[in-house]
Parts: sequence; C-alpha cells; structure tokens
Amino acid sequence: MSRIKIILLVVLLVFILIQFIRPVRDENGQASPDQIGKVYAVPENVNAVLRASCYDCHSNNTDYPWYAEIQPAGWWLASHIRRGKSELNFDRFGEYSKRRQDSKLKSIANSIEDGTMPLPSYAFIHTDAKLSKKNKMLIKNWIKATRDSLSKKK
Amino acid sequence: MKTLVFSIALSTLFFAACNNGTTNNESTKEPSSAANNQKAPAAPGSPTEELVNDYLQLKDALAKDNDKDAAAAGNKMVKAFNNFDKTSLTPEQAKVYNDIEEDAKEHAEHIGANAGNIEHQREHFETLSEEIYELVKSAGAGQKLYYTHCPMYNNNKGANWLSGTKEIQNPYLGQAMSTCGTVKEELN
Repeated sequence: MSRIKIILLVVLLVFILIQFIRPVRDENGQASPDQIGKVYAVPENVNAVLRASCYDCHSNNTDYPWYAEIQPAGWWLASHIRRGKSELNFDRFGEYSKRRQDSKLKSIANSIEDGTMPLPSYAFIHTDAKLSKKNKMLIKNWIKATRDSLSKKK
Repeated sequence: MKTLVFSIALSTLFFAACNNGTTNNESTKEPSSAANNQKAPAAPGSPTEELVNDYLQLKDALAKDNDKDAAAAGNKMVKAFNNFDKTSLTPEQAKVYNDIEEDAKEHAEHIGANAGNIEHQREHFETLSEEIYELVKSAGAGQKLYYTHCPMYNNNKGANWLSGTKEIQNPYLGQAMSTCGTVKEELN
C-alpha cells in the first residue's frame, strides 16, 4: 500500500472510533421549578424569541441539529453548551441571587446590543436564531421593565 | 513502511509526554513562591483591605485604558474573594458581604477573562463598583475613599466608582475624558 492509503485508512479508523465517544445530551424534558418564567413575568412573545435564539446553549433543553450525531461536531457543540450554561441558564435563573439575576439581565441586554450574542457563528447556521431589530427591541424593553421592577423591590 | 509510521508515532508520543512532565513541574513550583510573596505584606488591618487595594488597582488600570493590567487586577480580586476572612465581620457586615460576594466575584472573573475588550470590562466594573461601595460603607475600607460620579458614561446614564484620591481619574472614559467626574461622597 502506498503511504497515502495508509494515512487515509488510519484517519478513517480514528473517525469511526470517535463516533463511539458521545457526549451526554442536554435534554431534560421537564419544566424546571427555577426557570425564569417562575420568577419573572415572561410574555409569550418574549419567551418565543428567547427559546429560538438563546435556549440551545442557555437552558437544560437543547434542540440538536442533525450533525450533533457526528463527532467531533457533537463534542464541539457540547463544549459550547457547557460554557453557555455556566454563564447563564434560563432553567436555573431562580437559583441565582437577586443581584446576580440583575447582573445577568444587564449582561443579556448588553450582549444583544453589542451583537456578541447570539454568537455570530451560531446565528450563521441557525438563521431562525438571528435577532431582528424588532426582536432586539422586544427583549431589551422586556429586560428594562424587569430590571425596573427589581430595583423597586429593593 | 509500517515500522516507520509507528516509530514516528511512538517518538512523538514520547516527546509529548516529556514536554508535559517538564511544564507540570514548573507550574507546581510557581504557586508556592507566589504564596510566599503574598504572605509578606499581609499586615493586620481592615478585613476588606485586600479587596479594596485590588479594586483600586483595577480602577487605575481602566483609567489608563490598560486592559491587561485590569484583567490581572480582576483575577487578583477573585483570589481576594476566595481568601476573604468573614470571621472578623459583625453579623450586620457579613450580611452585606454575603449579599454581594457571588455577584461581585463573577464580575471580577469576567474582567479577568476579558483582556482585549476594555468596554466589556467597564460594564462589569460598573456593577462591581456599586457592590464594593456597599461593602465598604458597611465594613469600612481601612483607608479614606472617595465615591465619585461620572455623568457621561453609558449614553449619559452615568456611573460611579471609588477612588483613593480626590483627584479625578475616570475609569469609564479613560484617557479620552480622564478628568470627567465629581466626588459625591467621602468615606472614612
């Protein structure tokens, strides 16, 4: 066999082997008692936008694309989701202290404003996750109203 | 042919293993010397002293538009929170500290992780400043501090910070507007 054939064979073998190493899926299926909707009023239209644009990486229920079944793409997704959830998890929002909830809301508004979230690479593939100007305003206004109600409670 | 491939693979593995070994040794040495260095200046004072000093370093770095020093100070602050001695606080002060700890630490972490994005560091610095203000207002700072206001930051919404000097060095607008701001309150 030529050198190229051997290399290709090894690559193929490795590719097949890594398919058996599968990350745990981020799918809980249940409504969490600490999800944001239990602590704050989340209108249906706001909820729909959050679900479409944020929940894949910031909740306990990811809507997986087909290529998540293929490694190493699945690992890459899993690492993104793990990082996303450690920063912000809408399903565990009620567990954060009041101060942290307020900081998280502020950060959400800032990252939407700056365009750092949803991640441009993510929005490029998931076109439905891309935030229109109207939806950006919707989320920012909702955050402003929620934060105002928070500061009144203090 | 095959033996050649395998011997290359083996030797790279071997070298990789060697490299790992040496770097590990170095990294285990570092913390101990750093810990020794830290012990020296730990004079008895206010329990918030370390936090306040790191905060002021962070503020100075932002005022100089230095994102790298700001990140370093942010990381130092995370350590200061981890080493914080709550036992010397009164129950009243401990309540304030517990209230801010988790959130303030997270802000410090983000500042530490965002060298290269000074505007993002400043966003976190804004809330962090409010939290440190509440802490020193309750538990003292071990030094005189000036609670200072910048009316222009964030599209004229304004923001506050703490400074060790009366002289204004604006951490939000940096060198561009370095003297913008007024002292709102003096904390002893």
